[in-house]
Amino acid sequence: MAIILQLLFTGLGIGAVYALVALGFVLIYRATNVVNFAQGQFAMLGGYCMVITTVDLGLPYWLGILITLVVMAGFGAIFNLGVYYPLRHRSFLPVVISTIGASILITNLVLGLYGPEPTTLPGVIDFPGVSLGAVFLDSQYLVIIAVTLILVLLQYFFFEHTLVGKKMQAVSQDKEVASLLGINVTGMIMLTFAYSAVLGGIAGVLVAPILFVSVGLGAQIALKAFAASIIGGFGDVPGAIAGGLIIGVAETLGAFYISVPYKDAFAFILLFAFLLIRPQGIFGEKVSQKA
Amino acid sequence: MKLLELSEVSAAYGAVQALRGLDLVVGEGEIVTLLGANGAGKSTTLRSISGLLTPNAGEIRFAGQVISGLHPEKVVRLGIAHVPEGRRVFPGLSVRENIMLGASNRRIARAEMARDTAEMFALFPDIARFADTLGWMLSGGQQQMVALARGLMARPRLLLLDEPSLGLAPLIVQQVFRIIARIRETGTTVLLVEQNARIALSVADRGYVLETGRLVVSGKPDALWNNEEVRAAYLGGKRLSEEQKPA
Amino acid sequence: MSSARTPFAWAMVLVIGLALVLVLPINGYLMNLLMQASTYAIAVLGMTVVLGYTGQINIAQAAFFGIGAYGVALGTTSLGLPFFVALALGAVVAAFFGLVLGGSTLKLGGHYLAMVTISFQEILTLVLTNWISVSHGPDGVANIPRPRLGALALDTSPHYLAVCLVFLFVAAGAVAGLKSSRLGLAMQSVRDNELAAGVIGIDTYRVKIIAFATSAFLGGLGGGLFAGAFRYISPDQFAFDDSVVLLTMVLLGGVDAAIGAVIGTALLILLPEWLRFLKQFYLAVYGLAVILIMVFMPQGIWGFLSGLFRRALPIPAGPLAPLVLGEAVESAEVLLAVEGLAKHFGGLRAVDELDFEVVRGRVHALIGPNGSGKTTTLNLLSGIYKPTAGRIRLAGRDITGLAPHVLARAGIGRTFQNIRLFHSLSAFENVLIGAGRPGESGQDGESRRQRALSALDFVGMVARAHVPVASLPYGHQRLIEIARALAANPTLLLLDEPAAGLNLTEKQNLVALLRRLRGHGLTLLLIEHDMDLVEQVSDRITVLNFGRRIADGTPLEVLRHPEVVAAYLGEVAEDEAA
Repeated sequence: MAIILQLLFTGLGIGAVYALVALGFVLIYRATNVVNFAQGQFAMLGGYCMVITTVDLGLPYWLGILITLVVMAGFGAIFNLGVYYPLRHRSFLPVVISTIGASILITNLVLGLYGPEPTTLPGVIDFPGVSLGAVFLDSQYLVIIAVTLILVLLQYFFFEHTLVGKKMQAVSQDKEVASLLGINVTGMIMLTFAYSAVLGGIAGVLVAPILFVSVGLGAQIALKAFAASIIGGFGDVPGAIAGGLIIGVAETLGAFYISVPYKDAFAFILLFAFLLIRPQGIFGEKVSQKA
Repeated sequence: MKLLELSEVSAAYGAVQALRGLDLVVGEGEIVTLLGANGAGKSTTLRSISGLLTPNAGEIRFAGQVISGLHPEKVVRLGIAHVPEGRRVFPGLSVRENIMLGASNRRIARAEMARDTAEMFALFPDIARFADTLGWMLSGGQQQMVALARGLMARPRLLLLDEPSLGLAPLIVQQVFRIIARIRETGTTVLLVEQNARIALSVADRGYVLETGRLVVSGKPDALWNNEEVRAAYLGGKRLSEEQKPA
Repeated sequence: MSSARTPFAWAMVLVIGLALVLVLPINGYLMNLLMQASTYAIAVLGMTVVLGYTGQINIAQAAFFGIGAYGVALGTTSLGLPFFVALALGAVVAAFFGLVLGGSTLKLGGHYLAMVTISFQEILTLVLTNWISVSHGPDGVANIPRPRLGALALDTSPHYLAVCLVFLFVAAGAVAGLKSSRLGLAMQSVRDNELAAGVIGIDTYRVKIIAFATSAFLGGLGGGLFAGAFRYISPDQFAFDDSVVLLTMVLLGGVDAAIGAVIGTALLILLPEWLRFLKQFYLAVYGLAVILIMVFMPQGIWGFLSGLFRRALPIPAGPLAPLVLGEAVESAEVLLAVEGLAKHFGGLRAVDELDFEVVRGRVHALIGPNGSGKTTTLNLLSGIYKPTAGRIRLAGRDITGLAPHVLARAGIGRTFQNIRLFHSLSAFENVLIGAGRPGESGQDGESRRQRALSALDFVGMVARAHVPVASLPYGHQRLIEIARALAANPTLLLLDEPAAGLNLTEKQNLVALLRRLRGHGLTLLLIEHDMDLVEQVSDRITVLNFGRRIADGTPLEVLRHPEVVAAYLGEVAEDEAA
């Protein structure tokens, strides 16, 4: 019993990271109908930004986080201008391929600048964690779960109770009408990309102390986050969170009970199962084609 | 006074030339209606005015200023609100939020926005009790009310209405048109695209009939109603007799 | 270039190429590059089929490449199979995985397919790395033998390169030939407009699966040859990054042509050599190149070049046969019977309890205000929507809820309100895809080509046959769409607002065309807003409002019907003053 609780805790922690990246996926998808295959690289960049500011430059942890958030927001905006904006009137395929190109570009730029060796990042707090009976609650996992919870609540507040949030929703539902009402559509999409990059960056900062910071970090997280968003129901915000947590728990349990080497396969097996049995995901509407 | 003037406007969707040198004038305070069959270029005219489509020739002036080619966000700030065909209420936002966002063209405080929204609920009492209902849950008539209220929130000098009767039951259509008549009393100029010729002409001061992107005939409602070409465009009924005249 | 000389010219190119490879002294390094390029190019040709022709994304080509490579490696070393048997085995296994993968996800949208292929790629890498007892794990497989052909040992590098080149030539020729074949045109029609492809009788799901399996097969074939070329393989050669490389190759060269695949592969194999000065940044430049290609050269290098001198399918010369359209029947038999038909979208009753009958050989018009359910009715009749309730019978046969391509084969043709042509093809190619009902006799290529031309001639567009449809004016596009439907020899033709957007002259021509069709005994069901036209051509009119039938009868009766007048001109009810 204690083992299961321990695994659940760990799974929820790692799942929360997937959920954050999946959330970024979903927000961009809803605003632009684009599936951003470079979303994972945002997390990788966030991790590296932390390493550079706090380890290499020796800045305080809080300042590192602050700088990372600002850099990520700026990066999201540049990403929008370079990768999405020139292709905004084109069909699905060119844009997807362009984001794949961006993902290669980012990965290899970092690889060229920083080399292939993984680096470590210390946790947010020095304190190792608490024991709850036989279950050990690692502090970094606690931080991840807490931060994810706070972010989800903040995001809920932002979209439900601020005017800018409403405008962003309006843009994702009907761009043409939004522009007719005088809403700055281009600006709102820019904001969506910036915010998604920040979400990805935070996920990277959070997960960096657990996994090593390496150029492979992005792809590893992104694929599972993407699987999470499909399992949850593509384009659905609560679905992305639920999907992330499910995958985190499933792969933790699977690694323990079934096979460690195949740990990374469980997310995909789960995805296949969903696509065959319930392609619309947990919360999604039935997929249908409009004439 | 001319509020809106289109001169020699042409516009196309890709290879499809939808407007071919259209001239049109709307005076301050008028209700002007555009009539014509599907594909005649009525909606295209509205889309060109509001900036959703950039004309490939000609000029559009609003209150003396050239607006052709301006982005929709700029056009609405000058005081032109476009209520598009099919209502296009934001499905995932509440009625209140839909209406509130109509004021996005004005730089006003949130409190003022809330006040204006309350005014709209006074003007459209039927939708007031659905204030917190999501857009997609409304009926077509209720959606049309929301779309109108959202358009009026922009405090427009000129309101562009695209087929407000589309898909609505006759009783609801009358309700909508009573509101359109009332909108004019507030001093707002209206350019109305409508398939329902009879009801459109019953509120309009003047009408234009388009065919394949060109102006065919224009004039007062009575004259248009008795015009053979207009009747032909709508019912093909050259044989249809006098008894169908509006009361 | 005449079609008879083309294969001969290409055969000469192959012979010269082989001679050069076998005679010239090529150093080991260049030899490796050439072997890599020729085997990769075969896999990239698979991408041409799936992405270029059919428009379906596949980010797992390196996985299929890997399956083929391991097929040869394990087949020869572990199972002791002859090289070519192992090669065939690997390619077939790859195709099988393509079939399964495609079969389970091709009904879903594009991003699902992208994700599924990536997942497959990741799982394969994990399996190759961890199933050590079979795959030899991360160490890979060494000492892979090269083939013998009877007494001829093909194990020197020049000989083996020659083998690869022969395979590449055959594959490239097959892929190039596929493009103008019936299947290839079907693939392109799915890519350009899946909905329209369905209603002219193409089983779009099947075509997509075939494309996917073909792509996987070519991937496996290339991979198998790759294993023989380098005699050593390991799992890291077939990872996600390599799939992206294969994707980039096809995009850079041009997705739409076999030659594009070869150009793209050659360039990207050589590019690292040229970009060597960039050292570790060359892959970054690679990523940047992908974005720039998408933004500035979406058709790729070959697409860009060939756009300058595009060649459509050759058009058969000779006298034209008149178009044969069924047999004229004056039996007054009911061809189409609609009973209690309903389609609800959530709470909206777009079509509700609709009944009407269309008599064979007549022109029947469906009219009503915008939003009254006319197009929804047509979508139900052509299988695009499944009805919520009700029955549809065609010549007595229950056809309710059948798929669009099945209905097309049963004899229902249609056009769309917003014209849906295959925009990257010529007028002739568009009509050819629809020509002849699949499954009918007399379906050889020549008679289908003749039929397509006759159909074009019938609508008066034969002179524009070779023109890409995208550059035709709107009115002509409407006629091409009608010709495409006619080429399938429909029993019932559904026309959705054929006059919309036409000018007066074009409308008059349309009236004449519709009358000629009626004269040939074709049954027409027509949605139209232009009452003048409706009055001139239709024998019977059904009027819809709010998804229900409000009137049915001859034009004279219907257009005087008070409810119809009210629905169209607007009702002024008694309570207006209130």
